Amino acid sequence: MITTKLPDIRTDFPLLCQTSGDLAPIAYLDNAATTQKPQVVIDAMHHFYLHNNANVHRGVYGLAVAATQAYEAVRDKVCRFLNAADRREIVFTKGTTESINLVAQSLGDEVLKPGDEVLITAMEHHSNLIPWQMLCKRIGARLRVIPMDDRGALKLENLSDLLNDRTRILAMVHISNSLGTINPVKKIIQKAREKGILVLVDGAQSVAHLPVDVQDLDCDFFVCSGHKLFGPTGVGVLYGKKSWLERMQPYQYGGEMIKTVSFERSEFADLPHKFEAGTPNIAGVVGLGAAIDYIETIGRPAICYYLANLAEYALHQLREIDGLTIVGNAPSRSCIFSFTMEGIHPHDVATILDQQGVAVRAGHHCTEPVMDFFGIPGTIRASFALYNIKDEVDRLVAGLREAQHIFS
Amino acid sequence: MSELSNLYQQTILRHNKSPYHYGRPETSDVVLEAYNPLCGDKYKIYLDVVEDRIDKAYFFGYGCAISKASTSVLVQRLEGKKLSAILELCQHFLESLVRENADIAEDEELAAFSAARQFPGRLKCASLSWDSLIEYLEISEE
Ligand SMILES: Cc1ncc(COP(=O)(O)O)c(C=O)c1O
Repeated sequence: MITTKLPDIRTDFPLLCQTSGDLAPIAYLDNAATTQKPQVVIDAMHHFYLHNNANVHRGVYGLAVAATQAYEAVRDKVCRFLNAADRREIVFTKGTTESINLVAQSLGDEVLKPGDEVLITAMEHHSNLIPWQMLCKRIGARLRVIPMDDRGALKLENLSDLLNDRTRILAMVHISNSLGTINPVKKIIQKAREKGILVLVDGAQSVAHLPVDVQDLDCDFFVCSGHKLFGPTGVGVLYGKKSWLERMQPYQYGGEMIKTVSFERSEFADLPHKFEAGTPNIAGVVGLGAAIDYIETIGRPAICYYLANLAEYALHQLREIDGLTIVGNAPSRSCIFSFTMEGIHPHDVATILDQQGVAVRAGHHCTEPVMDFFGIPGTIRASFALYNIKDEVDRLVAGLREAQHIFS
Repeated sequence: MSELSNLYQQTILRHNKSPYHYGRPETSDVVLEAYNPLCGDKYKIYLDVVEDRIDKAYFFGYGCAISKASTSVLVQRLEGKKLSAILELCQHFLESLVRENADIAEDEELAAFSAARQFPGRLKCASLSWDSLIEYLEISEE
């Protein structure tokens, strides 16, 4: 059953229950940057180090087998979570950034020639912009951009021109981390498919909020970070279609990614190990597994529904504030809100909110071209996750009014 | 809230609202840039230097209330002063952002920024323009 209420899950997150003196617990509204961790994730990592710690894929002794099983079980879990067709299509990385760099470096030379085009959108995070920019520079290819309108929605009228005979790769963000826009990735992927263009979807912001089915999306690559998914930092995922991962060169060379090595030549391991050189973040992967279990116990449809309601409430409350301008008003939006306040710099707003126990982000959010587009140096950003409640929206609004009062 | 009203106190709010010599002069001897790439705050400081004194000072740019006010009070204190005295003032001011500085503590306007000590994330806002000026003065001293 889907309701506007989630079970009382705040108590699952120790940090959110922490108080100091007579101050209220923190209203943590910087979830687009990273999420808090539930006790089950902390426990899983703790348990791994206490009872199962050994290196993976090497030992014959029981402990190493247990560690390997724990690690590989998470690959199955991620495979199911993203609905990938094959567990070998799941590569563990250290995060979204590394996943994108891996694809740009290992695939780039394979498919790009001078004069070819790589297409991104106007709202990419720097991590889905610079790797392609550098690749294009190196190959002599051209980086092109799907524009957006002043609501922060992609302008798709000329998409067929942008997806042309020269286009080889399309890399786009699923949910914008600075505008909250949910892009119609499935529709765009269909268009790209018709022309045989490779597609990478940056799902850093979407996996925690939307049910993701990579086969249904039909993207070639999907990338995300564990830490935005209630898991630990330092672990992320690259999903890639097997046919592509097989063609790609390894990203890094070393242990764990080889079959045989001599001084003359080396033969690389099969998927996915070919892309997992060196000792991986084993405990991190175990923590990610626990995070996925946690999300699945609550259920992504329920999370999605709850957040849509919270977003509607937040939007309504923010619009009530005179002098506040929401940056990013796309018709399809998530629970990330960027805004500016007349006459008050975002950093001053963030400091004043901080003093009232409300944590928000201020700045360009690693999307400088987006800020340039809107002609602003930065925004205040409040981003919500499943543990946030209406009371925290109210605390945000009260804090913003206090900022206006101080600066009046 | 008391800590907070400490940072955003009247001196700072006043200078933020009506900064001193805020504008771009048509000509100037020296143009300094104070830029914090982490937050995007950026000011140009325009100086006319006559012999070993600063004759005229203006500034223009964009940033938060703390950086704007701190640039404003800085610019206000430059005109007519000797470069060596300015260098000393800058050093005292920057010290006051880290620990008590007797000279600054007596100066109500400059002391307002000492509150930034409680806000480590905002210290750079208070020191931004002063850092740039010190760099310039130290280079010109050599
Ligand atoms: C849309 C988007 N892409 C990429 C990233 C980079 O993720 P990470 O820093 O975990 O590699 C982020 C995180 O800020 C993001 O929001």
